[in-house]
Amino acid sequence: MKKSLRLGGIVVTATLATMSLASCGFGGGNASGGSGGSGTTVNLLVPSYSDNTQALWEGVISDFEVANSDITVNLEVQSWDNLTDVITTKVQGNAAPDIMNGGPFAGFAADDLLYPIDEVVSADTLADFQSSFVENASVDGVQFGAPLLASARALFVNEDLLAQAGVTAVPTTWSELLDAATKISAIGGGVAGYGLPLGSEEAQAESAVWFYGAGGGFGDASAITIDTPENLEAAKFIQTMVDAGATQADAGATDRSPLMDVFVQGKIGMIIGLPPTVGQIAEGNAALNYSVNPIPTVDGKAFTLGVADHLMAFKNDGSKQEAITKFLDFFYAADQYVPWVTAENFLPTTQSGSDAMGDTPALAPFIEALPGAQFYPSTNPNWSATDAAFKSLIGQLAQGKDAQTVLTEIQAKSDEG
Amino acid sequence: MTQTIHEPPTQTGTATGRPRSGPARQRAAAGTRLSDLISALPWIGPALVLIFGVVLFPAVVMFYNSTRDISLSGLDKGPVGFANYATLLEFTPLGGIMLRTLIWVVAVVALTVLISLVLAQFLNKSFPGRQIVRLAVIIPWAASVVMTTLVVYYGLEGYIGIINKFLVDIQLIDGPYGWTKNPVSAFSWSIGIAVFVSLPFTTYTILAGLQSVPGDILEAAKMDGAGRIRTYFGIVLPQLRGALSVAVLINIINVFNSLPILKIMTGSIPGYDADTVMTMIFKYIQNEHKIDVASALSVVAFLIVIVIVAIYVKVVKPMKEV
Repeated sequence: MKKSLRLGGIVVTATLATMSLASCGFGGGNASGGSGGSGTTVNLLVPSYSDNTQALWEGVISDFEVANSDITVNLEVQSWDNLTDVITTKVQGNAAPDIMNGGPFAGFAADDLLYPIDEVVSADTLADFQSSFVENASVDGVQFGAPLLASARALFVNEDLLAQAGVTAVPTTWSELLDAATKISAIGGGVAGYGLPLGSEEAQAESAVWFYGAGGGFGDASAITIDTPENLEAAKFIQTMVDAGATQADAGATDRSPLMDVFVQGKIGMIIGLPPTVGQIAEGNAALNYSVNPIPTVDGKAFTLGVADHLMAFKNDGSKQEAITKFLDFFYAADQYVPWVTAENFLPTTQSGSDAMGDTPALAPFIEALPGAQFYPSTNPNWSATDAAFKSLIGQLAQGKDAQTVLTEIQAKSDEG
Repeated sequence: MTQTIHEPPTQTGTATGRPRSGPARQRAAAGTRLSDLISALPWIGPALVLIFGVVLFPAVVMFYNSTRDISLSGLDKGPVGFANYATLLEFTPLGGIMLRTLIWVVAVVALTVLISLVLAQFLNKSFPGRQIVRLAVIIPWAASVVMTTLVVYYGLEGYIGIINKFLVDIQLIDGPYGWTKNPVSAFSWSIGIAVFVSLPFTTYTILAGLQSVPGDILEAAKMDGAGRIRTYFGIVLPQLRGALSVAVLINIINVFNSLPILKIMTGSIPGYDADTVMTMIFKYIQNEHKIDVASALSVVAFLIVIVIVAIYVKVVKPMKEV
């Protein structure tokens, strides 16, 4: 009894000591903002698109700081894998960045953390965004995201393998795709007809290619619809592809980036690629004889999946609105923005950027396809959960799990939020 | 928990080796309890602050988070009681995940200890080059776990992996197999890697135990006509009890809490057929951004470890002097 009393004393002492230590550590997060007196510090959190990302942003920032000597910009670069964890931790610790480059923002908007974009960019900059991206950047009619860059998908075809397999035309429908891919797979020697990356990395993108290609899709801002007859048809066709041996082995657990490397090495007949894939092939295997084509769909009707990433501005204590506006206006001016987007091998989201880049031949097929692109319903509050469900569950299709069950599971996870 | 593990060395380390509680109780009765505490504080203080700051405080925050509703963007939306735990219970794959965690811990610890016993016996013999072999055993320990795992992971890769290529070349398999892409094979390889990286610590703990077996006992056994096997199981193994039980305890905790190996080896497998509690916590955070549910599962994991360790300590009494 007495011993436990003594222990109690120790416990109380130590707890007090720890709490005081801990509170020091936890308080620091928010203070970095308006301090210094002489100027404002803007914290910028960006993901890494390529090895150049950091240097590109540093270039923008140093130009900006020369033009605006009273504003300092703190750059933090994170990998895409970690970005969401980093931002969640920062928000939880009351230390959100002032500007962030990211994908989905509906969650932040719903939590009232973001400035509507018209409060942090000038009217000129706002008018310069292409209208097709504005809807995708808005929640309930209020635009929260400044479209930063866009990508579209297209079918990359290894022409040599296609010819070797005796296929004369690039497939435009699913049945042609199945036929061509099966023939290419039959070449043997580790060659796969169609690269199907259903592994967690970007499973939602490959799924979208098939689901939208079947006339189905993921739904819209108000309702996520995964468990539909069209999507079921797509899911079943994915299984047909796998069962016919038209894809690489273990499609359900294959991630996109490593599989793309295999395509660059010339071991895959057809795969869905992005604008940066063009640069990747030029760098990795310039001798590859390939072409960029529209994505095959169930009935041959052209479709592409567009993805736009955004810059978003966090309110925090509301003291830096002016500095954020200056930075965004500075960045979206064509002389900063165009070199930035070009170097990252993505497509521009501003009218001025598009005009300046329209004549780049390698990107032409993508820029052409972009106006009709379908986007993820990323402004739906349940999109994050849907995205996560695709990443962890859709691969089971390729492992032989019943297609209906998989769709039901994803729909359930999505509804759960 | 940390306290209980670290106390015995100080006890046995003192020249007298007497338990402390006896005298302390007498003095406490004399009413000098507070001054005792104050005079001890400079010595135990830093350790206590560390235990509270690094172990207990995060545990309390974790429990607190597990009873809150935290939005996807990390905003605390208020208390929800035990709703996050209810979410866990409704999650059907959880049963399989628990079972797999058990298999993971038991298989890794058992294999590690068995192989370590053999290795330690071998390293205890004197032979030319023993120093080098002993050094070689340390290498998996010195190398980063992530690096070791990645080496195996890429070795098993379907298109470029040398392990896959080797297995094909010796015609054990017909063509490259997706070892890391199927739940059972990926999980089995993970167990192998976990054993590999756990060997050095365990081997050295047992080796230290072997070296403390008194030579005269072994000699006596020899003179009494005991054979090698009889000597090992009758004399050496009982003497290793202390070393073994500590090695097993620390391995259980380590292996249960191990994330990197499984994360790398099974990370790309869809569904939850290769997940343990730890990788599931990671998936809740990384994929689903549910910090609240992840915290709830962490609390469950924390409790499981405490219960396992408590049972183990009660049954095996690893702290008991031999």
